Amino acid sequence: MKPVEIIDIDVSYGARKILEAVSFYADRGEILGIIGPNGSGKTTLLKAMSRIVAPDSGEVRLSEQGLGTFSFRDLAQQVAVVPQEISISFDYTVREIVMMGRHPYIGRFASERSEDLEICDHAMHLANVTHIAGSSVHEISGGERQRVLIARALAQEPEVLLLDEATSNLDISHQIEILNIIKGLTEDITVISVFHDLNLAAYYCDRLIVLKDRRVYAAGPPKDVLTRETLNTVYGIDALVKPHPLTGKPYILPTYKYAAKRQPERGVHVVCGGGTGSDLLYALHKEGFRVSTGVLNVFDTDYATATALNIPCVTEAPFSAISPGAREDLARCIAAADAVVVTAMPVGQGNIENIRILEGYRNKRIVLLNGDTHRSFQDCTGGEAEAIIYGLLERGAVTAERIEQVLQFLMGSA
Amino acid sequence: MSRIRLIAIPILICILLASMILAVAIGPTNVSIASLFSPETAGMIVRDVRLPRVIAAALVGCALAVAGTAMQGLFKNSMADPYIIGTSTGGSLGATLSIVFLAGAGLPVLAFAGAAITTFAVYTIARQGGKIPVETLLLSGVALSMLLSAFLSFLMYTSGRSLHQIMFWLMGGFWNVAWDDVFIAILIPIGCVAIYLYARDINIISLGEEDAIHLGVNVERLKRILLFASASLTGIAVSIAGAIGFIGLITPHVMRLIVGPDHRILFPAAALAGGILLVWSDTLARTFANDMPVGIITACFGAPFFIYLLRSRMRA
Repeated sequence: MKPVEIIDIDVSYGARKILEAVSFYADRGEILGIIGPNGSGKTTLLKAMSRIVAPDSGEVRLSEQGLGTFSFRDLAQQVAVVPQEISISFDYTVREIVMMGRHPYIGRFASERSEDLEICDHAMHLANVTHIAGSSVHEISGGERQRVLIARALAQEPEVLLLDEATSNLDISHQIEILNIIKGLTEDITVISVFHDLNLAAYYCDRLIVLKDRRVYAAGPPKDVLTRETLNTVYGIDALVKPHPLTGKPYILPTYKYAAKRQPERGVHVVCGGGTGSDLLYALHKEGFRVSTGVLNVFDTDYATATALNIPCVTEAPFSAISPGAREDLARCIAAADAVVVTAMPVGQGNIENIRILEGYRNKRIVLLNGDTHRSFQDCTGGEAEAIIYGLLERGAVTAERIEQVLQFLMGSA
Repeated sequence: MSRIRLIAIPILICILLASMILAVAIGPTNVSIASLFSPETAGMIVRDVRLPRVIAAALVGCALAVAGTAMQGLFKNSMADPYIIGTSTGGSLGATLSIVFLAGAGLPVLAFAGAAITTFAVYTIARQGGKIPVETLLLSGVALSMLLSAFLSFLMYTSGRSLHQIMFWLMGGFWNVAWDDVFIAILIPIGCVAIYLYARDINIISLGEEDAIHLGVNVERLKRILLFASASLTGIAVSIAGAIGFIGLITPHVMRLIVGPDHRILFPAAALAGGILLVWSDTLARTFANDMPVGIITACFGAPFFIYLLRSRMRA
């Protein structure tokens, strides 16, 4: 029997769809993380589970019982929510706020019993707020207030605890303190939490649900879900994912470049070699172009750069001419690209095919980087390469002296 | 703090009873409270003029304070009160309609209906995505009050001889109060008890509506109950004494400072304090101010206090 099951729910606010066909479950005693970019529907999903919003279709089930069949009181005995933040208008004490967690257990004509006081004390002890029980909620710090909300949720003695980025507004030490408290609870409680910080999610969660564009994009243990590809697709960032040296959990190291997802993706193929293309590859990658390169031999500096940036690269063995197979791959890359940039690389018989192939693409936009004339190319082919370059210029290839000019040209002519 | 809370209620009860006895004894004519059972004019003054008047003032004070407390809790906002958000004006308009067109018949019913409809209208106008922000609440209250005032002015302009009676509702006062009114005022404790049963829910809804749902409160039902009950209390108060402002604003605020924000103590404390405040305001009005409308006195104390509240909120 699953404590929480989400079965194919659609949620919308008016005409705006927020969630579509979302299904997942949570097991007893696990911490399930919900991650995804802003606007992917994380908070709404949590609201659907606490019945703040009702799904248009599908069902949320608690221990195999539909959410709609619970009364407000019964539901509050099953599910507790720790919000991200709370503004408290009146000057309640910490104990008064925590005691509000007992509300669903106390009848309209009754008041707190000694049992409620004990549960309240225990909850405050677990959340480490006993020492401030008598303080006003306006006098305590943000971290303490968040712990008070956790204590209040624990006083509800829930089966399921929902956290909506409950630690997002806190500094790192308070985040860890609070998440450790929550991790310590999970023998009896199922925790479902929205996370923004992927590294915290990777460490604390048993499983992750990834939301993208209103749907579940991936689900599973952090090491399966938090991959470079998934992060790229879901968040549009490039990040290295390494095992944390101490915990062994995935650790995300962003490369701090941002691919503007909204712009139509533009493909650029870079013909380079001997390290002449590395800066350009990085610049294009950082600006969010879909970059490919090659043909490069596997000892080339530019090849190392391309690999590190995860840029697809057509390769050839060192000291050999471009094979028909590599030529075919190159042709495919060029065909897929909107433009080709050729750097001032040394051209010899081994790689001349890289530029000769361009003669076959009459309508492709071609940029020659680093040279107001073709002469900055190191021609080791006895004029053959030079002739090809002249031909490209004749047919409308443009030249650029600096990388910024290349970027301007590529972005300006959409 | 908790010691203050424990003794606050008995102390307030004592003060209210003492105030009521004193208020019956004090008046422009020099009659002793001992003449309560005397068959002469002095006895009549005490029995049929002062006693019902003091009881009505105490109950109306309770009603306004409890309605104000409930609205402040519901709106998460210590600026809300039945006068500020237009409920009283709606009640006055209802009363005025009854005076002008029905010669005063069904006045309590119309006063109540006016109060209730106005409250719901302000609530609906101020609501933004399930929340009721302080600015829109105050502004829509003011806006609707202006509209209702325009209707009121029109009715006064065309009312002819009933003008004086209408003025009474607008300023608020107890000079016409008789035992009949006290019998209507008996409904006030019932309304107060009904609201008190939801004191714990109001504690929780003052944290915010979503939080209240998480803690097992049926928020929409609670809102309907509280608005209905507050509008009822205000409507009854208006039908007895006209639109008396600021009691519902000041009393909960002061009592919150003394007994804390827990509505289970705040409601009785505010109810008693509201009674005390209005009994003394009325005594002041009829003894030293030639039976001036008591609304003038409460406004004289209340408006500066409201300004002080606004300023201290701005600093905070």
